[in-house]
Amino acid sequence: MKLKIKDKEYDVEISDQGAGGQVKIVVNGNAYMFGKAGAAGEISAPQTALPKRDFSSKTIKAALAGVITEVFAKEGDMVKEGQKLLTLSAMKMENEIVSEFTGRIKELKIKQNDKVKEGDVLIVLA
Amino acid sequence: MPEATNKIIIFETLDSTNIKAKELASQGAKPWTVVRAVKQEEGYGKKGSGWFSPEGGLYFSVILPKSNTDDLQALTILAAYIVAKVIKEAFNVEPLIKLPNDVYLNGKKICGILTENIIGSDVKSSVMGIGLNTNTEKFDSELENTATSLKIELKREIDNEALLGQIIEGLRKTLATISQ
Repeated sequence: MKLKIKDKEYDVEISDQGAGGQVKIVVNGNAYMFGKAGAAGEISAPQTALPKRDFSSKTIKAALAGVITEVFAKEGDMVKEGQKLLTLSAMKMENEIVSEFTGRIKELKIKQNDKVKEGDVLIVLA
Repeated sequence: MPEATNKIIIFETLDSTNIKAKELASQGAKPWTVVRAVKQEEGYGKKGSGWFSPEGGLYFSVILPKSNTDDLQALTILAAYIVAKVIKEAFNVEPLIKLPNDVYLNGKKICGILTENIIGSDVKSSVMGIGLNTNTEKFDSELENTATSLKIELKREIDNEALLGQIIEGLRKTLATISQ
C-alpha cells in the first residue's frame, strides 16, 4: 500500500510475524519490528491514546489536539448542558464541542484559529 | 456482533448528506443508517470547502456507532484505508491514500472523507461523509487537473450500489474493533 504524508510517498507493508506477537512494518524498504515493550530487541509502539478527562471541575477541555475554527459563546454567557460552544478541527475532522455542564462562562481561554493540545482547558464555567 | 443491517435512505438531491445524517442522528436514527444522495448541491469537505457532487458520483454519509474519544482520530484514517482497499480489489488499480482523509488515483483526487463529531462529556455522535467520484464524466476547469473519477480512469461505468455495499461492509468490520 502507498501512503502519502505531507507530499512524500511511502511504500508501506505490514505483516504479522506470528510467534512472538511481533508485527513487521516495512517503510520504503526499511523494516521496523513492533512488539511488547521491555523485551530484548523489541521496540514498543508509540503511545497514541489520549488522557482520560477530568470531570471533577467545571472546565471544558480539548478532547484532542487541533485548531479552534469557530467560537459560539463569550465570557458571561449562560450556557446549558449540550449547548454548542465551539468547533475544533483535528485530523481533518470537524468536532462540535458542546457544554458538559449548565453554568455561566467565567473564562474563555481560546479564540478562533488558536491551536490547542489535548487536555488544554478551553472554557471555565462558574 | 449482531447481524449487519444497513438502513440506506436515498435522496434525489440534498444540500449535503452529512447535514441530513446529522439531523437524523439528532432525531435518534440508529448507527449504520446510511444517507445517500444522487447529487449534492452543497457538498462540503474540511472547513467548508466544496465537494463537486453532480449526478453519477457516490455521495453518502454514515451515522457511526459511538466511539471512545481516544479512538476518534482513527476513524477517518480507517475509512480512507477501506475505500482504497475496496477500489484496489474491485478494479485492480493502485489508489494512494493521502493521510488522513483523501484517496488519489493516478495522481488525482478521487475520494474525500469528512467525519463530524459532537463531543461533550463523551462522544455524542459521529457522522462520516464520503464523496467518491465514480461515474463523474467531467470536472469544472478549476478541478480537472486535480480531480478524477473511476469512469474517467477505467473507461467504463461503475456500479455505485455494489461499491457502496462493499465500503459499508468494510467499515462495519473495521470499525467494530473501536466502536461500541
